[in-house]
Amino acid sequence: MKLAILYGTETGNAEMLAEDLQSALEADHEVSVANLSDIAPEDLDGDTFYLVVCSTYGDGELPASAQPFGAALDAGDPDLSHVHFAIFGLGDSAYPDTFNGGSAVLAAALAQRGATMIGDRVTHDASGPDLAEDLALPWAEAVIAEAATRLGAAA
Amino acid sequence: MTRHVAIVGAGPSGCFLAQALLKARPDLAVDLIDRLPVPYGLVRYGVAADHQGTKAIARQFARLFERQGARFHGNVEIGRDVPLAALREAYDAVVLASGLSGDRTPDLAGLPLAGVHGAGALTRALYDHPDAGPLPDLGAHPLILGNGNVALDILRLLAKTPDELDGSDLGPRATRWLADSGIETITIVGRSPAAQARFDPVMVRELGALQGVSITVEAAPPGADDAGEKVLAALAQIDGTATGPRRIAFRFGLTPTGVVGEGGRIVALTVTRPDGVAETLPCTALVTAIGFRGDGTLPTDEGPGLYKAGWFARGPRGTIPENRADAQALALRILADLDADPDAPAKPGAAVLDRCRDRVDYDGWSRIDAAELAAAPANRCRQKLDTRAAMLALACRTEETQP
Repeated sequence: MKLAILYGTETGNAEMLAEDLQSALEADHEVSVANLSDIAPEDLDGDTFYLVVCSTYGDGELPASAQPFGAALDAGDPDLSHVHFAIFGLGDSAYPDTFNGGSAVLAAALAQRGATMIGDRVTHDASGPDLAEDLALPWAEAVIAEAATRLGAAA
Repeated sequence: MTRHVAIVGAGPSGCFLAQALLKARPDLAVDLIDRLPVPYGLVRYGVAADHQGTKAIARQFARLFERQGARFHGNVEIGRDVPLAALREAYDAVVLASGLSGDRTPDLAGLPLAGVHGAGALTRALYDHPDAGPLPDLGAHPLILGNGNVALDILRLLAKTPDELDGSDLGPRATRWLADSGIETITIVGRSPAAQARFDPVMVRELGALQGVSITVEAAPPGADDAGEKVLAALAQIDGTATGPRRIAFRFGLTPTGVVGEGGRIVALTVTRPDGVAETLPCTALVTAIGFRGDGTLPTDEGPGLYKAGWFARGPRGTIPENRADAQALALRILADLDADPDAPAKPGAAVLDRCRDRVDYDGWSRIDAAELAAAPANRCRQKLDTRAAMLALACRTEETQP
């Protein structure tokens, strides 16, 4: 099972977290990192487990770098029933109405096209006491373990 | 041969530029120079004290120095301590990213008057900027002129109860000042109709969660584009909020015409309504939040090897992420220019800064940072040092004790 970390970012915080995850995981896994701005839905394959890290911007919307991917999902309505992913959201509870809206929008859009979400969507609060990586690393390890049993042979 | 890039201004635009340069070319020598002994500019002194989530981008910037190899040179003012020409001589590229620290002032009959304050100056005083003046007396009925997020930040801070500032990094002086302000009403006045206000809708809705206010929003005329509809919807949502005695009134479409003074101090703003009727708005102070301008100390034209970034380049519009995108584009342009001139003579880089006394490096800032975090009282996340002397005493300690 290959791992690919995909990030959607606006200020760079999600990008930094994606790079942190890669550093932490690459000792035990083959893991790539890509900006969602460089990925099209048809690029996603069934042999890779996708760890998606996505922030929120504006009015609970996708961050800038995830917007083309989100628009491609809406426009093409691709069949992603072969795709497995997990998603970690970044948000700020100073804006409670739209807290972590970006990761929620993206998770729903992927699921609507048949992709299988592994584990729960875990979210970080920029106004809270935790560091994002302290939540994201245990999340990644847990969803990778679960994905390994679901996708078959582990890397 | 190492290529040297100096970035004047260690605020978000300068830091994002350094990040993009070093990500593309880790072999570059990138120096961030700031006239303050501390880095991060607007993130530290402009982003509101109660928006700590926004300030979290400082973690990215710390990595810049801790892992990407950028160097910080604080307490160095280009023009005063080192001439810009000398800096350009010493570096392959110099980028001016010093922001716009001056308040744009309204051209109103009757000015100047006591009791009229720029939002930038007030923000610096609130957030313990070492060069800020004292916090002014705003009286019971301040009026805020402006329809952008800076105006909303000031409004929210003035409107909050002390408990609502828990978790912020608002300093003890500003905390006392707000608790004792005696503010009864805050009127926020925009020149344009509500649908054209440049408010971020989420920041408007944030006001609806305030605990001690009664909010009224003047009815807006129909007709708005999509962005305008979002602002109007947010304003409609907070209209009628009634959680406490401090009254907030949003007024729109009022063209300021002059100020009225008594004894040298403002007592009213005069405006013209959309229907052409003149109106006098009594107030005890006027805070103008109508934009920013440069202080004129650095040239505004690019030249060979000289670039501009951030608000210094684009003017006082655009959020932090918009300036990040600009910085990434500028990084590509600088790298292309460097690559186009591979045989340029070798430059000395930061050696030109050696003459600067009390220069603060990243380790010096780290000592200030650690001391500020350690000094935070229970309901604050940080207590800033608020004088250059206090900052330098900590930052330059090691250097002073060296033989």
